Amino acid sequence: MSKSSTDIETATASKRILLMGNPNVGKSVLFFKMTGVQVEISNYTGTTVGFTKSRIQLGDEEVDFIDVPGTYSLESTSEAEDVAVKFLESKPTAVVCVLDSTNLERNLRLALQIKEYNIPMLFVLNLMDVSKRQGINIDVKQLERELGARVIPAVAVKDQGVDDIRKELTKLIKDIGDEDNRIRPKGESLSNEELWNRAAEIAGRVQSFTRVEKNILERLGELTIQPWPGIPIAILVMVLSLALVVGIGKGIRALILLPFVNDVYAPLVTKLISTFIGPGILRNILVGEYGILIKMVEWPLALILPYVFLFYVVISFLEDSGYLPRIGVLMDAILSKLGVQGGSMIPILLGYGCAVPAVIGTRAATTLKERLLVTLMVCFAVPCVSQTGAFISLLGDYSVFMLVTIYLISLLTMVVVAKIADRVIKGQAEPMIIEIPNLLLPDRKAYFRKLKMRMQHFFVDAELPMLIGVLIAALVIETGILNQVSQWIEPLVVNWLGLPKEASLSLLLGIIRRELAVLPLLDMNLNGLQMFVGSIVALYYLPCLSVFAVLIEEFNLKTAISISIATIVSAFLVGGIVNQIGLLFI
Amino acid sequence: MPIYSLNKDTSCRIVSIPNVSLLESLGIRKGIKVKLKNKQPLGGPVVVQMGTRNIAIGRDIANQIMVEVI
Repeated sequence: MSKSSTDIETATASKRILLMGNPNVGKSVLFFKMTGVQVEISNYTGTTVGFTKSRIQLGDEEVDFIDVPGTYSLESTSEAEDVAVKFLESKPTAVVCVLDSTNLERNLRLALQIKEYNIPMLFVLNLMDVSKRQGINIDVKQLERELGARVIPAVAVKDQGVDDIRKELTKLIKDIGDEDNRIRPKGESLSNEELWNRAAEIAGRVQSFTRVEKNILERLGELTIQPWPGIPIAILVMVLSLALVVGIGKGIRALILLPFVNDVYAPLVTKLISTFIGPGILRNILVGEYGILIKMVEWPLALILPYVFLFYVVISFLEDSGYLPRIGVLMDAILSKLGVQGGSMIPILLGYGCAVPAVIGTRAATTLKERLLVTLMVCFAVPCVSQTGAFISLLGDYSVFMLVTIYLISLLTMVVVAKIADRVIKGQAEPMIIEIPNLLLPDRKAYFRKLKMRMQHFFVDAELPMLIGVLIAALVIETGILNQVSQWIEPLVVNWLGLPKEASLSLLLGIIRRELAVLPLLDMNLNGLQMFVGSIVALYYLPCLSVFAVLIEEFNLKTAISISIATIVSAFLVGGIVNQIGLLFI
Repeated sequence: MPIYSLNKDTSCRIVSIPNVSLLESLGIRKGIKVKLKNKQPLGGPVVVQMGTRNIAIGRDIANQIMVEVI
């Protein structure tokens, strides 16, 4: 989703400033404030996994500003650390190092490690509001003396200190001038222990503490990581989220959007087109049974949009609040039995929105095996929110029990897929080690910006393929091509799956987007068993073109093709078995 | 004794840690004082408080972190 890249070569330009620091200290927020370029921001570690670059104007100088993924150290034990080290060795002009004022010692350790590269530095002491509330007082002047560089206190998310940072950075760049910094040698490396001791020493000298009462959020933050009442709270949060997305989504769809499309929009467009275009193939393509002018509005807007919007309302809030890693901690015991860490709960939950960010999110996993496991679980068994919307349209009005069963089958499939993959893929799962972020009330501006960005992504990513899908549907139906194709795969669709011949349209369109494997079934007057089988096939079926692309990008073509074949085969296999068993009871 | 065997809300000093680089990067290292906040059920991770921070550590690693109670 973010246009970040992992190719460091593309970042070479005249003057470059690196933005570095520990994970989850607000680098990406600051990057956005400095450049206006939006990157994915969340309140947990590892959101920025590639890097993002933007040109900014500092005085009369134009420089490249680079958001380097957050790292705890430069030991080069993870992908993010490798990227960070490579950037430092690429002779940057200066480094802006963001320090978390609530966790100074550890942040200083990284700062000292970066300082060894002898690159001019500017320090940003971020999250000053949180540290003040926690009773941590920091002597900024003293810290500047200890670090030998300017230190700017800031609350980046509230714009505080951002102007000062820009001003100081401009000055720093001007002072460096055209002096060739490429010959600056790296200083002596301190050992790990020396680094920690030095960091502790500095932290001890600049910090003083006042005792403060914990506020409600902090107390809630503590409660949510205790098994009791953390687990009941987690269940409550999940149920409420689900109720909000499904319940309100259904309400908006049934009371507002569908009546609008069916009673106002469709008749109007049909009448309008009919006055200009006589009966025939063209009119049918535009406003016929699968008329593109009707379906391109009905499908994405009336049936899908409410769920997508509400899902992102909920998940963005949970992300920014720092709650998601807590669910990961509570779920770790269960997930580790499947061979993945509790932390992988986050990409799985994201997968219920869209598999693309979920697959990208698996980069935070510690082993390749875990990445693959989570990716497989998401591709096989986690329906994206668009598909959920389609399931609700198809099954929800017919039988809620059936709808729930589909989701139980989805959960069961995740277990089976993880178990099989755990056996087949070599390697060992590593136990989890994660830092639990502070629970925060999301910043309103940042939250709405994120929501807006995600909805824009949805419109761009969904509307065009949807349009192409609807166009293909109209064309293949009206030209009779579908009839031809349907005849070829009739044994599979009709005899094995028990679906009507036209259901091959679902299989054709499902390649483009997941919900398109379901939506054509709406107009086919299916019986209960057929709906259920159709839903099963759609659930397992290919994880759509965008996911295919991201699988190639994140893994390779072979993985993408293997996953696609495996999902198609299991779709027909499981769908057919369910049909054959179901027929015995009818 | 391993930190995993402590009761919740016990403060301790770390005596030795296994060779897991992420632990040390996070600041869990020999000589520092931490508090065991809780143990998640069903063999889940422990939550360790270090300063104002909470870090969740899986059981297998927590079993290799040796501490002395203070």
